[in-house]
Amino acid sequence: MEFDFSPVIDYLPTLLQGVGVTLLIGLAVTVMSVIGGQIVAVISLYTRKVVSWPLRFFIWLFMTTPLLLQLYFLYFGIGEWILIPAIVVGVLGLGFHYMAYNADIFIATIRSVSSGQYEASRSLGFGHLATLFYVILPQAFYRALPQLSNNMIIMVKDISVLSAIGIGEMVYVSQYAISVTFRPFEFYITIAVIYYLINLMMEAGQSWIERRAAYRR
Amino acid sequence: MTQTTDTPMVELKGVKKRFGDLEVLKGIDLRVDRGRIISIIGPSGSGKSTLLRSVNNLEVIDEGSILLDGMQVNRPDLKGLAYERHINHIRQNMGMVFQHFNLFPHLSTLENVTLAPRKLKGMNASGARELGMELLERVGLADKAQAYPSSLSGGQKQRVAIARALAMQPKVMLFDEATSALDPELVEEVNLVMKGLAEEHMTMLIVTHEMTFARDVSDWAMFMDGGVVVEANTPENLFSHPDQERTQHFLRKHLGAQA
Amino acid sequence: MDINLMIEIAPLLVKAAWVTVDISARALVFGFFIASALVALRTSRIPPIRWLARSYISVVRGTPYFVQLLLVFYGGPAIGLRLDPFTCGVVVGAFNIGAYMSEAIRGAIESVESGQNEASRSLGFGRLETLQYIILPQAAGLMIRSVGVLAIILVKNSSLVSIISVIELTYQAQRLIGSTYKPLEVFTLSALMYIIIIYAVMGIVEFLYRRATRYTFL
Repeated sequence: MEFDFSPVIDYLPTLLQGVGVTLLIGLAVTVMSVIGGQIVAVISLYTRKVVSWPLRFFIWLFMTTPLLLQLYFLYFGIGEWILIPAIVVGVLGLGFHYMAYNADIFIATIRSVSSGQYEASRSLGFGHLATLFYVILPQAFYRALPQLSNNMIIMVKDISVLSAIGIGEMVYVSQYAISVTFRPFEFYITIAVIYYLINLMMEAGQSWIERRAAYRR
Repeated sequence: MTQTTDTPMVELKGVKKRFGDLEVLKGIDLRVDRGRIISIIGPSGSGKSTLLRSVNNLEVIDEGSILLDGMQVNRPDLKGLAYERHINHIRQNMGMVFQHFNLFPHLSTLENVTLAPRKLKGMNASGARELGMELLERVGLADKAQAYPSSLSGGQKQRVAIARALAMQPKVMLFDEATSALDPELVEEVNLVMKGLAEEHMTMLIVTHEMTFARDVSDWAMFMDGGVVVEANTPENLFSHPDQERTQHFLRKHLGAQA
Repeated sequence: MDINLMIEIAPLLVKAAWVTVDISARALVFGFFIASALVALRTSRIPPIRWLARSYISVVRGTPYFVQLLLVFYGGPAIGLRLDPFTCGVVVGAFNIGAYMSEAIRGAIESVESGQNEASRSLGFGRLETLQYIILPQAAGLMIRSVGVLAIILVKNSSLVSIISVIELTYQAQRLIGSTYKPLEVFTLSALMYIIIIYAVMGIVEFLYRRATRYTFL
């Protein structure tokens, strides 16, 4: 057994491009799933059953089935009707998946903000919506932060799965390089190291965010 | 194993204990003869609980020595498994009662009492049951044998904890603020059980803030403050005519509050 | 929806679902042993061993399961490790979930109040006896719940072994979508099977949890 990392060096520009794609997808999905998750949570908590029940059904469905199955369904299913680029399917698929997980957290934290807060705000003369926006949601958001950042750390690792539907992130671009160089071990080890570094940075970011948010809870 | 009757049951010589830079025990000497009952009083942070926990080796002392019936408790020379075996053997001869009871919530009252004799002394099930029921009878809780700790009051929990400690037939009982966590109306039932033990001449070391109880039950009383024994005397003398100003000050505050 | 088609493909999906259950169950059992070993190593008296166990847990948790799978399956032969796809799925699944599970077990053990340890030690019980009679029975409830959560993750993760062509539920679903051009029907059926598996796991977990924590209800 001999290791030769020179092919990895040769393909470094391609690999870095894949890292860039991974990071961009991560950013897009974070924005989509955090904002979307909050909206879904609010709608499913404060609307009639006709609206809230289907929404809760989809949250439940996304949480009880594997990501890859959902991706296949979106990719081959929706791809039947309209032609959309894989990257869009990937971001939407991952985005919906984690939107469901984040909504689940927001529902719990919104509920956990005490009814005393609601009453205090209403007694000051704030309306229902104003109370929601100025009093309830900010508190719920800070309470959700630890689990939210956990979800995002897990999400970034799941970006690797998008290679299965042909999106050019790290794993996918390496698969091409591997088919030419026959060096799977070296490439996958490199990817694992890059992911580990991203993970370490995200964990550092998580504890930074939590320190800053701690006294707002 | 048992020494002659004039060997002290518990003996502390120059015991020192530090937590980091803070010296909480600054050289304590104490001799407890068999059948004697010693009360230790003092403000919180005086080191009285640390002293008691050191006797059971829950705190490992830095200097000095502690002897139980002639056997050395602290053994800095022993390491690893040998130390484990030594300390487990020593502890089987001491009963400890905690402020927060620490009953085992997953075991019934009877099982709490019989676990140690069954597993550590290899007592058979029926023998252990008999012993357990006898002890529960003694603390007035035979009817609660099948109950679980979560359904007991604080006073009942502490009585079970005493029965559990007695089940190993200890040479000495250590009480660490046994009634501090109890509602006032539940204190008396625990005190009664402890008085019962006193009448049977059990050797006891009692850390407490119940001045009246300490005066009634003990043969010798110690006032600790700042990691040293400030004053030790018979309870009559210590509580009625304390020599030291710190003791007087402490007692004024606490006896006044209790009356 | 094409009900006839669904009836036709159901047996294939049931068979594939069984592979999903098989691979997940084996990984769970092996993973539990790996996790227990990791918990023991983390409390070892020898610092390098503690450090090694901690690093292993950190690296496994810090890299994607999917990449681990690809690394072992395609990269393994380079270091003389040749595994068939099914075995590879079990082994990587077990080593992956073992790292997470060791943290869950440690968390459950640490959740038992320190007073319980002191009370047991003061009676003369040794460290292992205390763990056996006092700590583990009380940690069991939380442990069962957290292992249950991990078992569900394991089931969902097992879909990734379709990439190394183990014919499990997701692999079969993808193939059937391709051959029938009926994604909704195939997705509905295969999603249903995952849901049944996951609810079965949740049921078992709840049953075990109740048994382990019976004393709190009495």
